[in-house]
Amino acid sequence: MKKYLEIARAYMKAQLIWRADVFVDVILSVAKILFAWILWSILFEGKEQIAGLEFHTMISYYIISSYLFQMEKSAEISQQMTGMLRNGTFSKYMVIPVQTQGYFVAMEAGKLAFSSGIGFLATVLWFCLFRISIVHTVNLKILLCGIIMVILGLLFMALLNYFLGILTLKFEEISTFLMIKDNLSAVVTGAVIPLALLPEWMIAGMRFLPFYYVTYLPSMLFIGKCEDEAVTGLFVLSIWCIFFIVLNQVTYEHYRMKYDGAGI
Amino acid sequence: MKMIRTENITKKYKRYKKQEGVIGSIKGLFHREYEEKIAVDAFNMDVDEGEFIGLIGPNGAGKTTLVKMLTGIIAPTGGEIQVMGFYPNKLEKAFKRQYAVVMGQKSQLFFELTAEDTLRLFKEIYRIPEDEYRKNKNFFVELFQVQEIMDVQVRTLSLGERMKMELIVALLHNPKILFLDEPTIGLDAVASKQIRTFLKNINESRGTTILLTSHYMEDIKALCKRSIVVNYGRKIYDGDTDMLFEQYQKSKKMTIYFEHSVEPDVPEYCRILEKTNDKLVLEIPKQNTEKVLESYIGHYPIRDIGIEEEEIGSVVERIYKGV
Ligand SMILES: Nc1ncnc2c1ncn2[C@@H]1O[C@H](COP(=O)(O)OP(=O)(O)OP(=O)(O)O)[C@@H](O)[C@H]1O
Ligand SMILES: [Mg+2]
Repeated sequence: MKKYLEIARAYMKAQLIWRADVFVDVILSVAKILFAWILWSILFEGKEQIAGLEFHTMISYYIISSYLFQMEKSAEISQQMTGMLRNGTFSKYMVIPVQTQGYFVAMEAGKLAFSSGIGFLATVLWFCLFRISIVHTVNLKILLCGIIMVILGLLFMALLNYFLGILTLKFEEISTFLMIKDNLSAVVTGAVIPLALLPEWMIAGMRFLPFYYVTYLPSMLFIGKCEDEAVTGLFVLSIWCIFFIVLNQVTYEHYRMKYDGAGI
Repeated sequence: MKMIRTENITKKYKRYKKQEGVIGSIKGLFHREYEEKIAVDAFNMDVDEGEFIGLIGPNGAGKTTLVKMLTGIIAPTGGEIQVMGFYPNKLEKAFKRQYAVVMGQKSQLFFELTAEDTLRLFKEIYRIPEDEYRKNKNFFVELFQVQEIMDVQVRTLSLGERMKMELIVALLHNPKILFLDEPTIGLDAVASKQIRTFLKNINESRGTTILLTSHYMEDIKALCKRSIVVNYGRKIYDGDTDMLFEQYQKSKKMTIYFEHSVEPDVPEYCRILEKTNDKLVLEIPKQNTEKVLESYIGHYPIRDIGIEEEEIGSVVERIYKGV
């Protein structure tokens, strides 16, 4: 375990040099908040509620979920892996005594710890600056469930991207898979529209999928909604994570033995 | 126990053969044709602990493929292979903890990290005790004089600096076997000499078994007591390095400067490479060198005389062809 912590630490430290993308992220987050403010102000014109949410709740939802969505950058795992597998540099992970899956997840966690910290500070700052009264849960248990769910959700996305990455061993070209995943997760995680706006039967189906718990449900939990789904949500998401850990291990072991392109 | 043992090990690569034109590409989506390439062919090799072995052969001979099979990166197609008692491609952690591989063409380092962080990371990955880690690190850093570059990102290192880091990282956990695939490629004379000295030191002081591939015969001659020559995936020589070069060394080059202009006799088995009033350059069959030398000394007014080995390129060419 200690080695994975060291991996995370090393990559977190590597983020600490000046990076333009972090700065851009912060700027983008304010743009998003402004945009949401304007958009929802128009939509709420003359209405008390939309989909059962009041204006401030909606804004809070939007800001929290866009923060969570922005935090999730694990797509770079599959990008990196497919690149390295194809140009033959992946072998460096094969010859060291670590689980490659663990390595990539730890690396991502380290990078995330930094950018999410910055993002969090920025979000809090905008809240204060624009005097948005944030609507949030006051139930500590729910808050805790939400935080754990966010962590599991990020873990799940990292595992999923690792899985797509190792498909390179078999298919060589995975950009189609990546495109499908990106579109699917953008809609299904509730980053494009709050899932509350969707018909109930669709939401019911999504409750079995992990994406529902990546940004949507934790955002709802944080604003004090859907509290009864917290525990089952954690359960479903955990199952998905375990399933993918095993799937990744098996798939990787199976395909790497057949793969000749690794190294040089 | 043998450190490495392979028996009739073979590697066949399958290469996807792309058909020509658009129609061909579309056909390729449904039905792919492969062509087989035998990169390593029924190869036998035994290596004892502490040996320093050179693996040489022309481009595409199968050296890297062999190294990849020995390190478990790829699986052999046939034959038996065993490294320190393990089947490499299983990639067991206990196995991976005991070897290291350095490839001159591909880095083993993580580019975003600094050298210092990389070493720390490898300390944890290989579970190196703190005091051993300190000792090893200081020893290597001192030896290579790389104190100044410990805190810069690996991606910004020059080739030579990076190579030194690769070696330090590889040796930090005291591996029993070190695989080196062209570690001196692209390095200047000073850096490659430094690396040679370093490798010799490691092999002698720690008893590390080292398998080295290189296209620079200087590396091989200076380091490897034993050499294995590969061509077309097959072994064509396995034995003493000096004997190998001796055997294929057919001639010597002699350069004679005379005090003043003379017209010397040249034996018919010598080839004149250059001739001016006071200078004569000859290519002499190896066994006749002494005779020719005697026939000149004392008979002509000689200012200076030099004897060189045959140009290494020609020797290597003969070694690879096996004639
Ligand atoms: N992944 C691969 N797929 C198909 N063929 C391959 C693959 N890797 C290597 N080959 C082929 O196998 C043969 C041996 O390659 P290898 O890299 O082992 O040669 P080498 O002796 O290391 O050569 P060099 O001195 O140029 O590095 C070559 O003909 C090469 O084209
Ligand atoms: Mg090679």
